Amino acid sequence: MNFKGTLPALILETLMHEPSHGYRIAQMIKERSEGVLDFKEGTLYPALHKLESEGMVESCESVENGRPRRYYRITKAGRGALTKDRAEWRALSRAVTTILEGA
Amino acid sequence: MTGLDNWLTQATRHLAKDSVAQVRAEIQQHYEAARDAAITEGAAADEADRSALNALGDAKTANRQYRRVLLTSAEARMLREGNWEASALCSRPWLKRLFPAVPAAVLAVVTALFFTGHAAVARDVLIGGIGMSPLLAAPFLPIYTRSRSHVFRVIKWVAMTGALLFVYGPETFKWSWLLLSCLWPLAQTEWTRASIRRKLPVAAWPRQLYL
Repeated sequence: MNFKGTLPALILETLMHEPSHGYRIAQMIKERSEGVLDFKEGTLYPALHKLESEGMVESCESVENGRPRRYYRITKAGRGALTKDRAEWRALSRAVTTILEGA
Repeated sequence: MTGLDNWLTQATRHLAKDSVAQVRAEIQQHYEAARDAAITEGAAADEADRSALNALGDAKTANRQYRRVLLTSAEARMLREGNWEASALCSRPWLKRLFPAVPAAVLAVVTALFFTGHAAVARDVLIGGIGMSPLLAAPFLPIYTRSRSHVFRVIKWVAMTGALLFVYGPETFKWSWLLLSCLWPLAQTEWTRASIRRKLPVAAWPRQLYL
């Protein structure tokens, strides 16, 4: 399913629970959407870089199973942006549902 | 060359060296995690490789997205050269002192031209000098915040184009090819700087990005 433009919000939502690395973020989005939101994982990192340069997430190097991993953590600004994104999404979703169900 | 190497070569095309290293490291980590997960689920090694690579998607699409958020080689070169120019200027006190001398020199030339009967040329030189003045005054102005630098850039472009329009007057259109070719390198620099500003956090901006 095409969910262009919503990936940053989905990443922030995933990071609300715990800091995570790219692969786990991608898997969590797919699992939590029950496979509906299936996206190409190569596009995840540009979105993460953008969020990082905007100060929404911060990253640090860590080691997991002997392998280096870059972990991402949501910042205070990121939490604020997510709250705003949630409200906007609810309003949009309500509006589209009203129109489609009224048809 | 493996499938992943091919993918990385395409995805990192035209990116700066540091950006390439960053992308290579993160995609390599991601690929290995995906491959390990597929093997744990019972896939054969070559099948796991294929599925990890497929999951990354189209390398060209990733490259387009990376170029929007990471520095390209051209942008990194501009930053490097700009930093070199700034340090070369600041490390030579006589060159730095020359900056305030430029308006005085322009005024002297204008006065000389005016009193030798070249009033029209004197006017053009004066207007040209006024047009260039924001650039010369920049090192001495308190413009090094995001919003102030934005105001400064607007003033700079208004002053430059205003000076050109004033000097050429009704003939501006006739000489537009010359004006456009003169302004093109400036516009290109401005465009590249705008792109770098979008990619770097404000805290990491070198002084040249404020201009």
